[in-house]
Amino acid sequence: MRPFAAGTERDLADAVADWARGLTPVIAEAEKAGAIPRGVIADLGRLGVLGMTIPERDGGLGASSVAFALVLEELAAAWPSLSVGVAVNSGIVAGTIVRHGTAEQRAQLLPRLLDGIGLGAFALTEPTSGSDAAALRTTARRDGEGWRIDGRKQFITNARYAPFAIVFARVGEADRVVASRPGAPSPAHAGITAFVVPLDAQGVSVGPHERKLGLHASDTSALVLDGARVGAGAVLGEEGKGFAMALAGLDGGRIGIAAQAVGIARAALSVARAYARDRKQFGRAIGEFDGVRFPLAELEARLAAARMLALRAAWLKDRGRPFTRQASMAKLFASEMAQKATHAAVQTLGGNGYMRDYAVERYARDGRATTIYEGTSEIQRLVIARSLLAA
Amino acid sequence: MKILIPLKQVPDSTVRVSVAADGKSIKTEGVTWSISPYDEYAIEMALERKDADASTVVAVVTVGPARSRDALRQALAMGCDEASLVVAEETAAPLAVARALAKVVEEAKPDLVLCGKQASDDDQGFIGPALAEVLGWAHVATITKIVPADGAAELWREVEGGHEVWKAKLPALATVHKSEKEPRYPSLPGIMKAKKKEIPERAFASLNVDSSAPALEIVAMEPPPARGAGKILKDGDAKQTAQQLATLLRDEAKVL
Repeated sequence: MRPFAAGTERDLADAVADWARGLTPVIAEAEKAGAIPRGVIADLGRLGVLGMTIPERDGGLGASSVAFALVLEELAAAWPSLSVGVAVNSGIVAGTIVRHGTAEQRAQLLPRLLDGIGLGAFALTEPTSGSDAAALRTTARRDGEGWRIDGRKQFITNARYAPFAIVFARVGEADRVVASRPGAPSPAHAGITAFVVPLDAQGVSVGPHERKLGLHASDTSALVLDGARVGAGAVLGEEGKGFAMALAGLDGGRIGIAAQAVGIARAALSVARAYARDRKQFGRAIGEFDGVRFPLAELEARLAAARMLALRAAWLKDRGRPFTRQASMAKLFASEMAQKATHAAVQTLGGNGYMRDYAVERYARDGRATTIYEGTSEIQRLVIARSLLAA
Repeated sequence: MKILIPLKQVPDSTVRVSVAADGKSIKTEGVTWSISPYDEYAIEMALERKDADASTVVAVVTVGPARSRDALRQALAMGCDEASLVVAEETAAPLAVARALAKVVEEAKPDLVLCGKQASDDDQGFIGPALAEVLGWAHVATITKIVPADGAAELWREVEGGHEVWKAKLPALATVHKSEKEPRYPSLPGIMKAKKKEIPERAFASLNVDSSAPALEIVAMEPPPARGAGKILKDGDAKQTAQQLATLLRDEAKVL
């Protein structure tokens, strides 16, 4: 069931699902090695998945948000670690450049997000600012024609694969072109500006690959900016407007995480269902026991509801209508559902579910991240509540 | 070079086929249909030529029921340039299908016709050689590689311990055993482009082919017998068990 989706959107998702089925032999090894093979990223480029959200005039496919959500669900059902990388590259990073990039920036940057050589990164989080993103400490100072950026970004997806990262840094009072009204208090996000920082720029280095609970093959690393030098053309969008850009990027990204949670839950439940039918205890299939089948039934209903929330938010986005609240609702509901679904799957398989031989333990570990990244469940409740109670 | 590939839509290899109520056909309800695997190899082989020489035109055609349009669309999404459909009943006689394809070939004037060596549904391997016969063209079976050679083509076959290379003057027909690479997945832009392409359609009858042919009638279809349970030898010591096993392997399984 794919409500809100037209035939073409379903065909694109089916094509990706077909391809993703062939990934099975590489997943276990890649998860152990902690890296997505370059060949898989190249395939995604060749298949046109990486460029699917980029408009045709910029060399992409110009597919809808609904199609992208369906594709992320399929990728996540096959391999969650891969879906995260694609969600960041083709969702948040590409989306931010398409919305805010100049013609020159689009021409220069977007081809590098779809060529299958790397995956772009979005660097907002810092060691001391997670949910309170506006408190970021990275600074940007004018330095001749360009800028000098100093700070440390944390938990950056794709850092090791990225040709460049969108880095959010604060431009200090002294360096701001437009001074705020004298005497007026500056908001917490004053001066935050988005910069495009090539990973091979002077003063940029990538920290060690983080060791995580799940999503082992997805790269998560720190990005260290030690007097990083970028040119005047590195500013993305308007100076000082970076925080609103980051929030807008995250709005779209949340649809992607909701779709990913749906894919993870679907895959785990499908293993559980097959197991419940085949596994016999006390002389019958365990699926005949209400203790086993009722949770599966309950979660099937929640899974369908989560998918509808995700696709509705995508459908609104495609029509240029407000979708911030709907994206947060989808992300909150789908990611929490995925916790229950993956844990029910492990429980259905019992001892086998706890073993690496079955994929459900991986889905449970991988799915855990969905209530945390791109805004925790608590932040989603805050976004929804604010929008609900706004005058 | 223009390459034409007659293809057939068959039940996908993942479908668990079951016999329909009439006992003479398979249940088609809820079946996922795909391009027959050897036809996919033929498409891949042709597209590899196109990758090497962009002036290559790759066309596909099928004679089959209306649902076969999806298989043609899939071939376009993989990168084929043209597709056309001849709508026929499921039960059209194979020789009549070959004659219909010959008409299409005569109109399309390809330099090379590539057929999968056999369709995965009935595994008859009839259409390729029959089409070559109707056309009066040279025919090389079960090839694995094409190398163009100035008005001709080198057609490679795998044989025991090596390769056999045939040279055929064009036009010619070959059946394909395997391509060098696995058949490609359709790209997303390929799918979008394929949607915009016209797939002209005509009725089998409009080709006016001689449909008198040795009639094949399927008398009955039945699933293979269910596998019986395995035997466990547990009486006796190791020597006796080994003896029993040897006897069973020789007399019952007939593998010794």
